[in-house]
Amino acid sequence: MKQFRQIAERMAKVMLTLSGGVTSLAILLIIIFLFKEGLGLFNSAAVENGYALCIHSSNPTQQLSPWQIKRIFDWEITDWSEVSEKKGEITPFRLDEIFAMYPEDEFGEDYELLPQKLGETIAQNPNIIAFLPEQYLPNGNQSVKVLPVENINIADFFGGKEWLPTATPSPQFGALPLIMGTLWVSFFAILIALPFGLGVAIYMSELAGTRTRKFLKPTIELLAGIPSVVYGFFGLVVLVPLIQRTLNLPVGETAFAGSLILAIMALPTIITIAEDAMRSTPRAMREASLALGATPWQTIYKVIVPHASSGIMAAVVLGIGRAIGETMAVLMVTGNAAVMLTSLFQSVRTIPATIAAELGEAPAGGAHYQSLFLLGCILFVITMIISASAEFIAKKDHNKGI
Amino acid sequence: MNKKTKQKIAFSIFRLLGLLIIGILFWILGFIIYNGIGVISWEFLTAAPTEGMTSGGIFPAIVGTLCLVAGSVIFAFPVGVMSAIYMNEYAGNGWIVRFIRIMTNNLGSIPSIVFGLFGMALFVNTLGFGDSILAGSCTLGLLVLPLIIRTTEEALKAIPNSYRTGSLALGASKIQTIRKVVLPMAFPNIITGLILSIGRVSGETAPILFTVAAYFLPKLPTSIFDQVMALPYHLYVIATSGTDIEASRPIAYGTALVLITIVLLMNLLATTLRRYFGRKVKTN
Amino acid sequence: MLPLSQKAAEEFMKALPSATVTVTGGGSGVGIAALLEGTTELAQLSRKIKFDEKNKLKEKRIIAKEITAAYDALAVVVYPSNKVTNLTREQLEGIFTGKIKNWKEVGGADLAIIPYSRETSSGTYEFFKESVLRNKNYMSGIMSMPATGAIIQSVSQTKGAIGYVGLAYLNKEVKAIHVSYDGGKTFVAPSVTNAKNETYPIVRPLYYYYNMAAEAKVKSFIDFILSDKGQKIVSEIGFITVK
Repeated sequence: MKQFRQIAERMAKVMLTLSGGVTSLAILLIIIFLFKEGLGLFNSAAVENGYALCIHSSNPTQQLSPWQIKRIFDWEITDWSEVSEKKGEITPFRLDEIFAMYPEDEFGEDYELLPQKLGETIAQNPNIIAFLPEQYLPNGNQSVKVLPVENINIADFFGGKEWLPTATPSPQFGALPLIMGTLWVSFFAILIALPFGLGVAIYMSELAGTRTRKFLKPTIELLAGIPSVVYGFFGLVVLVPLIQRTLNLPVGETAFAGSLILAIMALPTIITIAEDAMRSTPRAMREASLALGATPWQTIYKVIVPHASSGIMAAVVLGIGRAIGETMAVLMVTGNAAVMLTSLFQSVRTIPATIAAELGEAPAGGAHYQSLFLLGCILFVITMIISASAEFIAKKDHNKGI
Repeated sequence: MNKKTKQKIAFSIFRLLGLLIIGILFWILGFIIYNGIGVISWEFLTAAPTEGMTSGGIFPAIVGTLCLVAGSVIFAFPVGVMSAIYMNEYAGNGWIVRFIRIMTNNLGSIPSIVFGLFGMALFVNTLGFGDSILAGSCTLGLLVLPLIIRTTEEALKAIPNSYRTGSLALGASKIQTIRKVVLPMAFPNIITGLILSIGRVSGETAPILFTVAAYFLPKLPTSIFDQVMALPYHLYVIATSGTDIEASRPIAYGTALVLITIVLLMNLLATTLRRYFGRKVKTN
Repeated sequence: MLPLSQKAAEEFMKALPSATVTVTGGGSGVGIAALLEGTTELAQLSRKIKFDEKNKLKEKRIIAKEITAAYDALAVVVYPSNKVTNLTREQLEGIFTGKIKNWKEVGGADLAIIPYSRETSSGTYEFFKESVLRNKNYMSGIMSMPATGAIIQSVSQTKGAIGYVGLAYLNKEVKAIHVSYDGGKTFVAPSVTNAKNETYPIVRPLYYYYNMAAEAKVKSFIDFILSDKGQKIVSEIGFITVK
């Protein structure tokens, strides 16, 4: 009996220890899965998978960047001289066009004559650049040259300004507008929320009576409890039209609408932490200040707020963290245009909104899917930095007390 | 300007801000209640959507959300409580506990959409659960795990050490002490944490987008490998798609009202419980 | 395409209570991806299957069968009081690729044009790009809406807006543009009649693709959609019937 109990005790301890490790394991798994998929992007070719670009063998062009390829097929680069030593007007060519040139039955039963026809077409036109599936490449043809394709590189991802993940032949994964969009929207949200939240925190910790406090505290908890999709819905039907009308803007779905909603959502975090920090000011400090003849207001801004400053900093940092990761509310009110933000009253696309809107469409394992995981990695790293700095600030505060 | 006037101005601003935040809450709640209350009826709560989701009810979405809440809690609650017991009762105060605590905090600060990505990669694709209640519950479970751990740990910390040493001195083993003394005393506060996590889970949208949510599925689920509709996703869908946005607006208001009622009831219940038991423990 | 499947599933389950049809949204890309992953038996696409997707299906040895369930016309819509009524394809291309930026360039008021697009996952996005933009890319930073309903909503409250929606979504809150594909000789209004007699140019088929291995499971639903009753739903929603 005693032995049995000992075994049971030991088992229980093992179970508890294992449970203790569960959050660390979860983080480890998240890192592995996110980064494994995300970093795979840099091993993907810059041209859509399974396709290749062909040019005439007399064409001296060695290599084209994804950006150049995109502009060529958008007819924005129209002459070879813009990208290489060759002269002549570029003729972009897609597979579909071949079907308009010959009747269907000339390609053979299973399209076995298709490569030959493609080869002839390319041979006839020295200025052509053809975007073709690899399995139908005219391999034997002497006058066809396959353009070597580079992999998607880190600089293009972090420095690129165009996010067109489904563009053919060369999808554009410029994440810069998304990263900047996320940061700006969150930054402005905090700019709105900080003075507001600080004011309420001062009111709650220094001015309000017990009864008012008892009423305000649950109010703020309720505000924190409202689901983000409800905030998004409210923003969509109330705030967006309101902003559009009162500010007389051409569009209502703006970064400003996003920041406003995020500010409301970040308020509870900021208020709660800032209030706790102010309440922890030692009574002796307050009283010393008052005894020296300072008014309560002077005491607040000369003694209490400086004493609570690192707590307030932590509140700001955590508020930004909350805002950066917010998905649904932002997706519903910002218009989701992937542009470099030049004004608050412009539409903007954030990282979380991009993942939510596009992940469903991207076939697992493709470059687009990987790029969304990479965006997830960025989000993960940003939030880790934020929670680490909040921790650091809180620790510094602790040391100061001693 | 003299300092009295300055103080007056500053204080009136703070008072105004305090009023304003109450105003914001009432604006949002009032708007949804005002527009949604007329839609709520027995039929709305118990029928499936009809007429291209412009009329009928939201019963499948309510059931779906309940399934997800139950699934995630079954997974996260025992693990979370055990994890907290380990940290508070076993691991002492060394680097292990500090490490686990940092990891738990970090997990808690990861955005919900990243959980969605992870859930899709691990549960849906790698483990092959497909879009299912199982995959969605696991994802949501991970999401609330830090919340459960944190509240349980606080509940355990609140119990004075004298109870533990007393029990141990009477010859009880550590496990017995935890089971018979510590857990019963901490129970009310642990339950408060559970209720808070239910509120959190029922409102999350981003983690279920790619792991479980169905656009339209009037049938109720029969196994954990089925997809379900869920209230938050349904609200998102109704608010942004559909052929006739105007006709489906009332449904959207009604759904928002039901969702908000569930979430806020849970929060209110948690606060009441906390206050009630907080008082009781003190008078002991 | 979603409203069609949703309504059809609704009616189908009413007629055959033992059946279960789950409708999942997300766009055409999602459908094929799900077919590839084996998480669905039936994918609804508002564009033809891409060459690349066809190859992937072949790799996984999935034989997909294609069914045309209905036709849909895409209407270009603007704010109700916008003076512009006629636009050529070339003008539309200019607007959506960002070359034409002001309404006065196409005969309207001096007002900035704000083009609204769908998210990249949608077949509507792909088809509009193929048909109207001749495969060129949309201007970078175009407003992208997660669903067509959101486009209607935004266009109806934004003065300079222009967007594209399925014919089924047209309502009084937006104004439909007459489109010309012959350089401005004839402008045709989007309507079921004009789409049926093939005078309206922006018409696309709506497809179902299903895994042949699961044919027994989905056949009854496909048959239902192609039946008179199913096609009645098609026209009720504002799509064009197959026959």
